[in-house]
Amino acid sequence: MQDGWNKPVPAVEIRNLVKDFKTSLKREPLRAVDDVSISIEAGEVYGLIGPNGSGKSTTMKALLGLVAPTSGTCSIFGKDSLKVDSREDVGFLPENPYFYKHLTGIETLAFYGKLCGLRGAMLKDRVGELLALVDLEGARDRRIGGYSKGMLQRIGLAQALVQEPRLVILDEPTAGVDPVGSRQIRDLILKLRDRGITVFLCSHLLEQVQEVCDHVGIIFKGKMVKSGRLQDLIAIEDQTEIVLKDASPELISEIEAMVRRSGSAEWLHSGKPRTTLERLFLRETSGEER
Amino acid sequence: MTLAKTRKLPFARLRRIAVIAGHAFTQLVRMKVFYFLGIFALIAIASNFFDLPQHDGPETLGDHGLDFLRLIKSWSLGAMTLFSVVMGIVSTALLLPKDVEDRTLYTILAKPVPRIDYLAGKLLGVLLLLFVSLALMDGLMTVMLQARLSVVLEVQTALGNARGWDQASRESLRIDTLAQGPTWALQGAVAAVFFRAAIMAAIALLVSTFSSSTLFTTVVSFLVYFIGHFQADARDFYLNSDRAGTSSAARYLATAISAVFPDFQLFNVIDAVIQGKTMELIQFVKLTLAALYYVVVYTVASWFVFSDKEF
Repeated sequence: MQDGWNKPVPAVEIRNLVKDFKTSLKREPLRAVDDVSISIEAGEVYGLIGPNGSGKSTTMKALLGLVAPTSGTCSIFGKDSLKVDSREDVGFLPENPYFYKHLTGIETLAFYGKLCGLRGAMLKDRVGELLALVDLEGARDRRIGGYSKGMLQRIGLAQALVQEPRLVILDEPTAGVDPVGSRQIRDLILKLRDRGITVFLCSHLLEQVQEVCDHVGIIFKGKMVKSGRLQDLIAIEDQTEIVLKDASPELISEIEAMVRRSGSAEWLHSGKPRTTLERLFLRETSGEER
Repeated sequence: MTLAKTRKLPFARLRRIAVIAGHAFTQLVRMKVFYFLGIFALIAIASNFFDLPQHDGPETLGDHGLDFLRLIKSWSLGAMTLFSVVMGIVSTALLLPKDVEDRTLYTILAKPVPRIDYLAGKLLGVLLLLFVSLALMDGLMTVMLQARLSVVLEVQTALGNARGWDQASRESLRIDTLAQGPTWALQGAVAAVFFRAAIMAAIALLVSTFSSSTLFTTVVSFLVYFIGHFQADARDFYLNSDRAGTSSAARYLATAISAVFPDFQLFNVIDAVIQGKTMELIQFVKLTLAALYYVVVYTVASWFVFSDKEF
């Protein structure tokens, strides 16, 4: 989508967002979000990170029109967030969603699909496709009340995608989910990116954000303190990493001596790279899962 | 056809409201609210035996048959009123806070669903539940009344023969007795019960848009229900009487109360029907329009509050 000057319209445009909440009559209002600006291009995966109570969820709610900005503007693909039609191209997964316990997985997706105007064969196909995408075909006829935390998050992600939105907003998508479920959700986010869907997620699980996001913003006490391309933000500019396989101790000594002889570079350390505890956990428990 | 285009189809809005209404209905049904129908059946059947020391049937009542039929109607319509008002208030008071608490409201309002559609859908779901429940109760009452009417008519015929009544007296009693059976006026009274419960559901919807708990919504709604029954008396007392000493403040208060609260004395027609009186069509139309007026006014007021509500 492009505007009149052939400049691509950002998927998300938040300009100078300020949100104050009234506390009591006598006290000053609480400023939850303070002059935050975010621009997310179509197809990007953007991660908003920050500690609890830093204003992440309020920013997302303002973008969805669930709270009205005290000042500033929010838009989705150029449409004002306070207007209903801005929500035609967005899917939202709130933090710790519960959904209707009396509905089965298939009924839940059908309900959200019908809300978006889907009917008949188109609805049926879409629901089937989404259940396959989130790997819940085996639980399609089970009531949501019996779903595990990870399954709830996945059905939540499926409902967010029901009308094929171009933007998906995920609020703490892996909160309270075990490492296996967390990995499944992360893989789904990567699948969405491959399909060209813009993803705006907020989390305080930094490792996960690092794995999936192209751009990140760090929010603290309502203010955006740092934002930019992830690789630019985390790169240590004056260091270089070389990873070798099956290198003998003699070869490593030789390289180290060469570096020291050069005089212009400094040898910092060498050693075996370590896997993460999460990868170890997944490797050891993958047999049980299958 | 693309997914985006399906959202632009004609009647898309009505379909969306119907989806929310259908869902609210299913939600309430799966909460097992229909169990109360069993209790209603018990009351309707038990009404056959009230006031009868030996649990005798109508055949022993002789010329008390009319009272007997009135009793069935009175108990049945009373139970219908109680169940429908309680169900209308509690169901509505439950739906909105539950959606907020479970955050399901976020997922619905994050879709292209206008807030008025959401409110209208929820209310229509409750009204559908009330309609189905009352239709089932009405069916049960009608069957029971018809069965007992036949017995009463047979007893009266036998009694007339034994006492040697003339044809005119017999016909007059028969007409009086039929008026106490299942009539269109009785169906009108059931409709009035539905209208009253529908107004209460709309009031509970309004209260729940600014209330923070189901309990508060329920208590306030019942308060409004009782005020609605007495407000016409208060209004007449302060506005229409020429009493000296009625302060202008009291008059303004009475006017304000009558503008805000529904006038449930309009629905006293139910008592007349129980006594065997007929309900004129114009009376029924007036009741329908009054109910529609109240439901629309309270729903629009709910929308005003809900449209600016933050979650």
